[in-house]
Amino acid sequence: MANVTFPFPFPANMEILLPEIIIAVMAMVILLFDLFVSKEKKQISAWLAIATCIAAAITTVNVTGSESMMTFYGFFVQDYFAAFTKLLMLAATVFGIILSLDYMKEETNIGEYYALMLFALLGMMLMVSATNFITMYLGVELMALSVYVLVGYQRDVLRSSEAALKYFILGSLSSGMLLYGISFLYGTTGNFDFNLIGEALANSGDSARTATLVGMLFVLAGMAFKVSVAPFHMWTPDAYEGAPTPVTAFMSVGPKVAGFAILMRILVDAMPALEHDYVTVLLWMAVLSLAVGNIAAIAQRNIKRMMAYSTIGHVGFVLLGLIAASPEGYAAILIYMTIYLFMTMGTFAIIILMRRDGIQGELLDDFAGMSKVRPGYALAMGLMMFSLAGIPFLGGFWAKFAVIAAVIDAGHLYLGLAAIMFSAIGAFYYIRVVKYIYFDEERVAFNFSDNVLMKATVALTSIIIVVIGVYPDPVMDVCRMALAGLV
Amino acid sequence: MQEVLTQETLSTVELLAIPVLPLIGAMVVGLFGWFLKERLSHWITCTLVIASTVLSIHVFIQVMGGASFHGNFWTWIISGDLDIPIGMMIDRLTTVMMMTVTIVSACVHIYTIGYMHGDPGYSRFFSYISAFTFSMLVLVMGNSFFTLFFGWEAVGLFSYLLIGFWYQRETATVAAMKAFIVNRVGDFGFAVGILAVWYYFGTVEYSKVFAAVPALVESGVSLSFLSWDVSAITFICLALFVGAMGKSGQVPLHVWLPDSMEGPTPISALIHAATMVTAGVFMVARLSPMFEYSEVALAAVVLVGATTAWMCATIGLVQNDIKRVIAYSTCSQLGYMFVACGVSAYSAGIFHLMTHAYFKALLFLAAGSVIHAVMAEQDIRKMGQLRKYMPVTYVTMFLAALALSGIPPFAGFFSKDLIIEATAVREMGWVSDVAYYAVISGVFMTAFYTFRMFFLTFHNSDRVPAETKAHLHESPKVITIPLIILAVGAVLSGWIGVTYLEMGELGAYFDGSIFVLDQHNPLMKLQVLEHDHGQSHFWLENGPLILALSGIGVAFLMYFRETKYPAMIANTLPRLHTFLLNKWYWDELYEKAIIRPTRHLGTWFWQKGDLGMIDGKLIHTGIVDSIKEAAARLRAVQTGMVYHYAYAMVIGVFGFLTYLMLNA
Repeated sequence: MANVTFPFPFPANMEILLPEIIIAVMAMVILLFDLFVSKEKKQISAWLAIATCIAAAITTVNVTGSESMMTFYGFFVQDYFAAFTKLLMLAATVFGIILSLDYMKEETNIGEYYALMLFALLGMMLMVSATNFITMYLGVELMALSVYVLVGYQRDVLRSSEAALKYFILGSLSSGMLLYGISFLYGTTGNFDFNLIGEALANSGDSARTATLVGMLFVLAGMAFKVSVAPFHMWTPDAYEGAPTPVTAFMSVGPKVAGFAILMRILVDAMPALEHDYVTVLLWMAVLSLAVGNIAAIAQRNIKRMMAYSTIGHVGFVLLGLIAASPEGYAAILIYMTIYLFMTMGTFAIIILMRRDGIQGELLDDFAGMSKVRPGYALAMGLMMFSLAGIPFLGGFWAKFAVIAAVIDAGHLYLGLAAIMFSAIGAFYYIRVVKYIYFDEERVAFNFSDNVLMKATVALTSIIIVVIGVYPDPVMDVCRMALAGLV
Repeated sequence: MQEVLTQETLSTVELLAIPVLPLIGAMVVGLFGWFLKERLSHWITCTLVIASTVLSIHVFIQVMGGASFHGNFWTWIISGDLDIPIGMMIDRLTTVMMMTVTIVSACVHIYTIGYMHGDPGYSRFFSYISAFTFSMLVLVMGNSFFTLFFGWEAVGLFSYLLIGFWYQRETATVAAMKAFIVNRVGDFGFAVGILAVWYYFGTVEYSKVFAAVPALVESGVSLSFLSWDVSAITFICLALFVGAMGKSGQVPLHVWLPDSMEGPTPISALIHAATMVTAGVFMVARLSPMFEYSEVALAAVVLVGATTAWMCATIGLVQNDIKRVIAYSTCSQLGYMFVACGVSAYSAGIFHLMTHAYFKALLFLAAGSVIHAVMAEQDIRKMGQLRKYMPVTYVTMFLAALALSGIPPFAGFFSKDLIIEATAVREMGWVSDVAYYAVISGVFMTAFYTFRMFFLTFHNSDRVPAETKAHLHESPKVITIPLIILAVGAVLSGWIGVTYLEMGELGAYFDGSIFVLDQHNPLMKLQVLEHDHGQSHFWLENGPLILALSGIGVAFLMYFRETKYPAMIANTLPRLHTFLLNKWYWDELYEKAIIRPTRHLGTWFWQKGDLGMIDGKLIHTGIVDSIKEAAARLRAVQTGMVYHYAYAMVIGVFGFLTYLMLNA
């Protein structure tokens, strides 16, 4: 960070901020646009939001060079790693908007809804491009505040408001922890910049070790909340269940990608000297997440709650990549996130299609006998469930394989075995869904909506899962390449 | 990753097309048979197999001209040191097999059009036999033990599927299971052999392994197996030979082959006579550079072959099912081939394999034509005088019977004669003596049971039931034309083999693809004997022919017209007759010694292990219930109260903090 004096000079390399600028401007445009159009035309804001994401994706690809570039006096970085995770988040947002098209049609002020999604996206994109705790915190809060509102968007639905309030209160607590941790690290190193903190910690010796560890732990805890790592996961089932289903889909991918991306940056740049300590903490977090996610899901009857625990379990797997603390581990995280994006979006698309004529379509019972009425959706849901369970040859298998291989290579054999064991337990509740679909009798009449984009989403995600499952090499290569900016 | 080691004029595209064409046919008809219906199904598969046949013959001619191909196309598996490529090794041995397989397969494809007409599984049948042809071609064309194993297992699979083709019949499914399970026993040995090859040589490619064999023998590496010290090469060869015994129906693993006759007759001809069951013989010949270095393995091959040749011939004498007679004959003839390989006359073995493929396939197809005519009756006691109704079948089957009996100038004469002579001159002590007496007495029995079956079917008295009689007719052209094509092979292939391909000559046709140590080579000794006019070789040269003719003569006396002799003999030697009729009680022995104990063991595991432990205390009430309980508890923790959630977070942070401070 250069010493900046007032008045600020115009920052160099401003063009790398272009994707973020597009999103910020368009989010505000949509907000205003919504006020001036009649009710029938409000859907246009959804299309505008999708167009914005596509434009941002194109600019992201265009402004990223093989060298990592900084702007805003070193506060913002754009490299392959940031670009790749941004593309994942943009894809998650596009999917989220597509899933919302029918679901949110009846709501008022849907312009606000899409604008909030874009603001959340903006926050995530700031996070992954952060080079220091200040930019990171700015992104985290922008994302979190937008998502709190999104969760409670159906303000007349009790469980939606309740979920939002719980999420907000606990989120504030976690933000407090995060800031507390940052202040400790600032206290011991005198810096916010990741790289400078890293250097300082490497050279400091044991003088301020206790304070450093406290700082590290609180930062980890704050971030762990955002990515629903046990024991900071308690908000997840309630928020997932209460939120409108498209928001559930969005928040189970977008913030997770952003959170893990910035965790990787922090651990690689700022805390290499503390590797031994953060690995022991993460190890327990991973085991707890795997256990809670995979076991508690068995007791759920609501599929959105089940998917919440599923997320916790998957986050446990992703943590294995951080524990490996090796390039293979980080690449495995990116692979996991990429495949997880498609699996989750496909699953939630089908769940949303289940909502019909006054039935929420969220209970496992509602899926009974689907194969006889809609064999196509039934097959897609079956593929998603098998993939989430990690059955070869579907994408989910390679995701799990990559992280487990990485963590075993790093010498944590028992953790790898535990992960495999929990994966076996988890397979039960995924395959139970398939059992409901294929082996049970229809209980309530099915009446699916015929939105073409939703159908396309289901088909596309299913195909991607199968293709990645059969031939994973290209995706894995891209993920390894994306690491160039990080390590 | 294309790596071609040597290639003279052979086109890789052509070579790949030979196995791939039938595979395409199998996949198209297998997946879209419901749409293609009968007509398109057989057109597609027959055309592709015939194309493959034409290409095989083309390759055969090129290889005759001196071309060969050794090379790898793709990498199949890389795992640590194990690097398995997919490639081909095309030489004269391979091309003989390719040609035999494709010609018989093409005939059987055409024959099936008539035989299976109207069957609900019509397309499925064509799909299976085309896929079988693909597997068999992979087996013979491959250049490593793994392609051999792939083909070996794939032909076993299609054999299983085809034996059980009429899966509504219980006997068919039982026979299919039996074939599959008995083959498992053989394949276990085979797999052990391949693993041993990889262990000792570090590679599974034929050429590299063969090159390394002499060094391994020199080094005298041995291993202790069941407290028996055995040299590595002997162990490998014996293990591989166990696989050959299973696949080729050799004693004591022969029991599945007669039962496999439950399958439709075309596959009895294709799989259980001409091609798959000869895979074991092909394997021993292909691996001659290994077997040559192990006297023990060679002796085992001879003994097993001779026992089978003799024993199955005795059983064939009294069987009444037309297909079973031919099936036991197949076992017996395969025994001859193994004897040939064991006495190092591999070329004679392969020669007999080729001629046998034609005349035995012909016998089966002709028998199928008979069965077709008499409304699926297979008992020869309910036939007789059929020559009046089915002249083409009658003539072709007569030619096949002569060929099988070894009457000149038909195919079997040349090849069988060569085997017997080679056995006579090869000096292996008592082993070759026993083998010689077994095979020479087998000649008499072969001629006898073949013509017994033939006379009872076409001559003798007319015992056809009245209701069947109205239906009696010659089979349609799609059935008789393949018979005629194969009859040409049955008549000429022996003569061509001797005259043009010089299969019986020393260092002629198979030179370079089959390896024989000079001190073993029986053909060399035969050549010496031929120029040695000092002593008479009358018996050596003409003995088999005399025995064959006398066998036919005895059969003529007993069965040409209805006589009292058969019943008389059976009544004089009732015990022997029952013993033979019950097939030496092999099935009963296995039932008592193996099947029942295995069933008991299975029941025990089911009762104690599955019901007792998995459904009971260990898994079901143990692990499953405890996980369920854990899930319920975790659910209870999730109270929905914000302060509980916050409490969990705070406890979590301070728990970790304490842990860090204590460990810091």
